[in-house]
Amino acid sequence: METIKNALDFSDFPRIDLIIATTILIFLLTFPLLSHSAFATATAIQFFMFSLYGMGWNTIGGYGGQVDLGKAQYVGIGAYTTAVMLIRWDIPFWISMPIGMCLAVGWSFIIGYPLFRLKGHYFAIATIATSLVLKALFEVWAFVGAARGLEISPIKYIPPDFLRLIFKDDIYYYYVILGFFILGIFYMNWFRKSRLGFQLRCIKDNEDVAQSLGINVRWAKVKTYAIATAFVSLVGSFHACYIKAIEPEDTMSLDISILIALMAMLGGAGSLWGPIIGAGILIPLKSYLKEWLGATAGLVGIDLIIYALIIMLVSAFEPRGIWGIIDKVRRRKRK
Amino acid sequence: MDILLSSIVAGLLFGMVLAIVALGLTIIFGVMDIVNFAHGEFLMIGMYTGLLTAQATGLEPLLTLPVAAAVGFLLGVLCYFGFIKFLLRGPMIAQLLGTFGLMLFLRNLALLIFGSEDRALHHGVLVGKSFDIGMGIILPATKLAAAGLSVVAFWGVWILMNRTKIGNALRATALNAQGARYMGIPTERMNALAWGIGGGTVTVAGALIVNFWSVNPFMGLLFTMIAFAIVALGGFGSVPGAFFAGLVVGMITEIPGFWDFMTYTFNLDWMANVPMTSFKYMWVYLAYFLIMVVRPRGLFGWKQ
Amino acid sequence: MKSAFRFLSVLLIIGLIVPAGALAEKEIKIGAIYPLTGGAAAAGRELRAGAELAAEIANNVMADINMSMAKNGGIKSMGGAKITIIFKDHEGNPTLGADLAKKLILDDKVDGLLGCYHSSVTKTVSAVAEQHGIPMINGTSTSPALTKRGFKWFWRTTPHDVWFTKDLFEFLVGLSGGKVQGVKSFPKKELLNIASACENSEWGSFVSALIKDFASEYKFNLNKSLLYSAKAPDLSSEVRSLKAAKPDVMMFASYTSDAILMVKTLKAQKVQPKIIWGQDAGFEKPEFRSTLGDSIVGILTRTVFLPKVVDIKPVAGQVNTLYKAKTGNDLGGASARAFTGLQTWVHVLEKAGSTKPADIQRAANAINIPGAELVVPWAGIKFSTSGAEMGQNTLGSGLIGQYQKGPDGQLVLEIVYPFDVASADMIYPFPQF
Repeated sequence: METIKNALDFSDFPRIDLIIATTILIFLLTFPLLSHSAFATATAIQFFMFSLYGMGWNTIGGYGGQVDLGKAQYVGIGAYTTAVMLIRWDIPFWISMPIGMCLAVGWSFIIGYPLFRLKGHYFAIATIATSLVLKALFEVWAFVGAARGLEISPIKYIPPDFLRLIFKDDIYYYYVILGFFILGIFYMNWFRKSRLGFQLRCIKDNEDVAQSLGINVRWAKVKTYAIATAFVSLVGSFHACYIKAIEPEDTMSLDISILIALMAMLGGAGSLWGPIIGAGILIPLKSYLKEWLGATAGLVGIDLIIYALIIMLVSAFEPRGIWGIIDKVRRRKRK
Repeated sequence: MDILLSSIVAGLLFGMVLAIVALGLTIIFGVMDIVNFAHGEFLMIGMYTGLLTAQATGLEPLLTLPVAAAVGFLLGVLCYFGFIKFLLRGPMIAQLLGTFGLMLFLRNLALLIFGSEDRALHHGVLVGKSFDIGMGIILPATKLAAAGLSVVAFWGVWILMNRTKIGNALRATALNAQGARYMGIPTERMNALAWGIGGGTVTVAGALIVNFWSVNPFMGLLFTMIAFAIVALGGFGSVPGAFFAGLVVGMITEIPGFWDFMTYTFNLDWMANVPMTSFKYMWVYLAYFLIMVVRPRGLFGWKQ
Repeated sequence: MKSAFRFLSVLLIIGLIVPAGALAEKEIKIGAIYPLTGGAAAAGRELRAGAELAAEIANNVMADINMSMAKNGGIKSMGGAKITIIFKDHEGNPTLGADLAKKLILDDKVDGLLGCYHSSVTKTVSAVAEQHGIPMINGTSTSPALTKRGFKWFWRTTPHDVWFTKDLFEFLVGLSGGKVQGVKSFPKKELLNIASACENSEWGSFVSALIKDFASEYKFNLNKSLLYSAKAPDLSSEVRSLKAAKPDVMMFASYTSDAILMVKTLKAQKVQPKIIWGQDAGFEKPEFRSTLGDSIVGILTRTVFLPKVVDIKPVAGQVNTLYKAKTGNDLGGASARAFTGLQTWVHVLEKAGSTKPADIQRAANAINIPGAELVVPWAGIKFSTSGAEMGQNTLGSGLIGQYQKGPDGQLVLEIVYPFDVASADMIYPFPQF
């Protein structure tokens, strides 16, 4: 079908890009079989998770141009739905995850309509506010364990359990999230060429013009916000099965919202590869820097200082992120 | 009745303290439309400055305020010329990203230099003292002083903005930077000045606050959020707006106190079991959301 | 000439074989995950120091310490194998803790784990250990839920909050009944109203629930029970709420910075209950003492170890001297229990004679460490192997201490419970701030 063709068609990228992407893909596919480091595998899983978070964020934040700093609440909805359904009613991941997505998308519609009356900074801060409100509610709601959170018992289910996504070895989780990752890329490839994608670009350029062309601006934004929410919620459900213990402070904190936005913006908001590049740089940087430097008591925080400096430099000199730098260099070369 | 009165007084005092924290944010936003996510970090730096100066020199902490003000002013100007200036050229998304980066940078720099534990002042004219004015109202001396300073600072800034030449220049830049430039106003310098004043006021607030709260490198974000709520409520760019919004937000954080008052007045057991204190700041965020949706201009704002 | 040559060649052969045997001395790796940075970094430092000290004593022969592990250099049953601790910092973050556990188990190939202080982090770390079948000994997390999960690779030496909270209520009943040293009996109704404030994570919320249960069991009135965020910068509305409930007894479960803030706020608002009690943690830290100074006189805290224990147990004094030389502070609840945790590892390894997980598991389930070996005033260490609380040490106990001013003007913690080991008269009621 047209949609599938669109999703698989990367031809508008220069050939060298596709070669690099394919090489990296092959590397990622074979990596856990060759690597001996559990830490590396765990870091890679984090990378995939944040790439997916970032891809979702990118729809509304990048293509849509509305910086959203409240994504953590949807991580929470996805994670808690899966956890509660598994613990109380023994419902497997593959059913609870879509249900979580529906709940998350539902919530996003409820707050999305009023939210999108705002733009720019006001919108960003409002998204933070809504996320914090939901987190505060989860912290006192006994049904989800309040602030103590929920725990999925690692001994109750026999790994490997593909239905409930309970595994002992990280390698299984790796391939599951890799699968979602690849699907996510195809989806985003379709998205940027879809009608909604074009509408968004128009809106981002000049909202009034878009309105006058007959685009229902508000509705387009709300739809996109729902898509972003679905991505985030999916990974949230995965997170619950992976870590097997969730609590509001850990899963729905402002830090997570900020990280998601930062990685996508750093890599290049509004581009297909941007969020992946952003996560690909920042996640290993954070993990390994902390390993090398963090244990030395005297150097606490250096890893994040380097992180912060990179962000500051990129934002000041190339707001389109690292992908923007790559693009600029290419254009100059072409001349 | 005691509970109600002490809640109201506490709310107002706290509100005035919060107002002065928010003042700097509204000035910066008013003049150049940039939201400083690192605002809370400036506060934190102000607190450390006040603390360390007092500890190093053995001076009365109140006397460290000018030091904090100077540090804040310089830091603001430095941030502007060294970084913010470049951000202004880019789209809003880059500005958000940039000030976030600044926030992370300052926070972790503080972590590196000062370590993660709480530090607090233990000596000084104001530390630990309070006035009991009857009817169950207890006024901690430090909060009282902070509130007093807040009033003075607001009044001072208002005079600066509305009655001085520089203030006029600042407001002109805020209204129309291009037009101001044509009039010969050095807008670059105005921007830097706005950052300087913004930074200075919040670091002074910090140096005062450290008399009754302990400081650690992570506390900035909460105050940034509260400051945003205040500025939004009061209207981005409005100085008197920030003051009154501060009072309102202070009262909002006292909602648990009012709830308690109702619990004891009407003697309803179920009310005592509602965990209101856990929601303290949630009401602030909720209020922000509602205001933004219903009246984005805020109470006194003139910027959209 | 020929005999010399033979002699030398024999020496050579011996020289080749024997060192090879000695070099086969194993190294035992224990992974310790503690909060070395973040809000509980102060506790993390103590925990680390306590565990390191225990390892030092175990690895070397120290004649002046009356412990069996000090008599040998290393683990005797494994040819003198020395213990190396690999420390990791979880920052108070449960997800990070789990990742670090995986790293320690799969990459560093540790033989066992120790940790983690925060009950929320212990939860995730022990889940990883359980999945991989690696033994974990927990010395300092007191949330009762941790031993109710039916885990087979998790043992906890410290008594948990059910014990400690029950101790408190026993103490309160005994107080009005005149059983406390220095306090005459008085009618129970003078001590009837309670208000509690606990931090809202895994640990604090459980304590809050326990207080509710015990209050109704022991027939006290719990007028107010609130939860707060340990990271909050301001607790004045919480304190006002507590004050409005007009309690006779105030109970807290706080980590370090919030404990300090809470007491400061109580003082500023001139709150005047008859008893202020803290569930250990923040209330017991050196920072609490040094920051608040004399204002803490009269405050009670649950504790597992305080310097006065030295009077009951000489071996505690011996270890305390070493600890003080190492860190400048006396042993406290955190460091003493981290020490005991590692000490338990030493005993378990001795009994197991190998680092195979199955052997360690068997040894841990059978271990019986007499109280005389321990710095903490427990009857001993013996883990429950059946029933609802597998892996829980059944011989532990708590103490309740009260801050008082010693003869030299210094602040000391005096034991007020159990009644028969009280070290001083109790100050009652709580003096004016």
